[in-house]
Amino acid sequence: MQILTLALKDLKLLLRDRTAAFFILAFPVLMGLFFGMMMGGSSGSSRGKMSIAIVDDDKSELSQAFVDALAKNSSIAVVPADFEAAKESVRKASRTGMLVIPQGFHKTAGILWEPQPELQLGVDPSRAAEAAMLEGFVMQAMSELIQHRFQNPEAFLPSIVQAREDFAANTAIDPLTRQLGSTMFAALEQFVGQAKLDAADDSPQAATEGATSAGIQLAQIRKLDVTTQTVPDSVSAQTAKLRSRWDISFPQAMLWGVLGCAAGFAISIARERSAGTLQRLLASPLGLQRILLGKALACFLASLFVISLLTLLGFALKMRPESFPKLAVAAVCTAACFVGIMMTVSVLGKTEQSVGGVGWAINLVMAMIGGCMIPVMFMPEFIQRVSILSPVRWSILAIEGAVWRQFSWLEMAWPCLILIGIGLAGFALGSFILRRSQLSSH
Amino acid sequence: MPIASTISQAPPAIEVQDLTKSYGQVVALRGLSFCVPKGETFGLLGPNGAGKSTAIQIMTGLLRADSGRALVDRGQPHLSDIRRRIGVAPQALSLYDELTAAENLAFFGRLYGLSGSRLQTRVDWGLEFAGLQDRARHRAATYSGGMKRRLNIAIALIHEPQVLFLDEPTVGVDPQSRNHIFESIHRLQEAGLTILYTTHYMEEARRLCHRVAIMDKGQLLALDTVPNLIASHGGASKIIADVEFWPKELSAVGPPQEGQLLTTSAEPLAEVARWTNAGAKLNSLQISSPDLESVFLNLTGRSLRD
Repeated sequence: MQILTLALKDLKLLLRDRTAAFFILAFPVLMGLFFGMMMGGSSGSSRGKMSIAIVDDDKSELSQAFVDALAKNSSIAVVPADFEAAKESVRKASRTGMLVIPQGFHKTAGILWEPQPELQLGVDPSRAAEAAMLEGFVMQAMSELIQHRFQNPEAFLPSIVQAREDFAANTAIDPLTRQLGSTMFAALEQFVGQAKLDAADDSPQAATEGATSAGIQLAQIRKLDVTTQTVPDSVSAQTAKLRSRWDISFPQAMLWGVLGCAAGFAISIARERSAGTLQRLLASPLGLQRILLGKALACFLASLFVISLLTLLGFALKMRPESFPKLAVAAVCTAACFVGIMMTVSVLGKTEQSVGGVGWAINLVMAMIGGCMIPVMFMPEFIQRVSILSPVRWSILAIEGAVWRQFSWLEMAWPCLILIGIGLAGFALGSFILRRSQLSSH
Repeated sequence: MPIASTISQAPPAIEVQDLTKSYGQVVALRGLSFCVPKGETFGLLGPNGAGKSTAIQIMTGLLRADSGRALVDRGQPHLSDIRRRIGVAPQALSLYDELTAAENLAFFGRLYGLSGSRLQTRVDWGLEFAGLQDRARHRAATYSGGMKRRLNIAIALIHEPQVLFLDEPTVGVDPQSRNHIFESIHRLQEAGLTILYTTHYMEEARRLCHRVAIMDKGQLLALDTVPNLIASHGGASKIIADVEFWPKELSAVGPPQEGQLLTTSAEPLAEVARWTNAGAKLNSLQISSPDLESVFLNLTGRSLRD
């Protein structure tokens, strides 16, 4: 009960210290929003363009027109590639998909009465929703080829003339139908060069539905099997799992909050010592161990509160943790770890200023190499190796494991055990040093 | 303040035997021994660095002695049961500036197991004791030094201890707050509380303490009631007189230098009467009785505030 009394007192003091409250509550939120907005184009529903590798085996003016039509779409970034490179890029998740334009594409594409060329479309299987969208965009681009045909009468007329002659020469068709067909093709021949088609509807669904409802097939699309074979630790493999721009920035923000808690409570122990209240607490029936447990509980509760607050805020911004139970475990382990670090930092200086200075210096180094500013996966390899020394890295890994990395319980165990180990070691070391200094102090 | 006979016969509240304590090469206590009976206000008088605070820290269980022992209410002060009977008002203001007076009192009350209406009653008592009823809901950071000192003592008393340690409780306070503190201590004395009071102000020791122990450099130099200490170690009274006429019969005492006579006597009034009877004519006369300062000077060869 007394431990809870101590913890509640510390939380009350924390809330009344506006600077500390800012660094623990407001600063992490700002960091989370800032980094989230910076990452806005890289993932999730707010992703920018789908990167599509185009393999143009036709290399004609019409195939280029088709590629240009695709590129005009604001949702697609087109990158030319050969077949193997394109397939590899999709396998490694560095491209969303690939599209193969076959040889002879220019002969029949955009001519409604001819069989349409067979396009091959391969999409990362984990991005099924984008595959459907992409199919629609391809149809839309194909529909623009019809317009392209009418806008280039010199190129289109021979096809019409050829069609009229073939129709007229086909004796399998009854004479009346041949007469009507010849009249129609003649009219079309006359029309080409002047006709203007209305601009197509911009939505891919409209293009697809419009074409199919009229019984016209704008393109034949054959699905290409592109089984993703990404290296599990590669950046692309990792980012492929991201579903929201906040998936990375909010775990980082949570750690900023927890670091703020650790620094704030480390200073509070030094403050108790310099203000003399520690002496009064020590003279009470509590004993040093329970006093330290009270401090630890306050820091632990504050850390959990910050993580919970940022989870709620992230949820409001459409961050959707994969597993709330795993997130709870990660939060508890993270809080326990930084309680231990707080205990050790609190005895590294004798005054509030020295503890504050040392605390934030240690925090900043841990934050920088641990991925609080730049995610570890984007860091140079040697820094990634060094970052295993930072508890921040393990905390972010555990939280991300629950939020978007789709960790199993076994995968969660490793970072969580490391965090608990650091926490216990830090608590034991800090308590030991404080006990020794207290017994020998004047 | 003479020690009452009932107090001197009371069982001991504090027993200190042969305490020694060193910080590296610095010796803070050298075999300190004394006993404080229940209900007594016991003064530890000595200059800064005499070892008073170290002694208090050992007596309250905050510090381990290198040798010797300290008992409070016949128990070791590091035991939680004994600590419940001890109240400590440290020299440094030990309260939370960001909490109000009521919150400070309630927090420390809860640490000693108080709750509910009992806690509220004690908080109200503490506010009244410290004279802070009107400022109960203001943060301690807004209080004057004297108000903080009073609150510091009230916190030490929130759990109704049997033994109160007051370490320099009037340092840095205004005269009004000092008087308030003195009156409060008188109330506690009347209630039968045992008080160990450290100070380097002689006036406080004389006014408040039944007995006074004079410490210097970690040693106990003398221990008795203030009158007895003065009688034993204070020496003679000083007499300073402006002399108009000084008879030859008194040449053994004088003669005055440039009309002024400076001498000492164990019985100054009788001595002055003898001079006037001999025909001496004095324009002015100043008699200084020995005090604790004199006691300290005689015991150590230096002033209390050196």
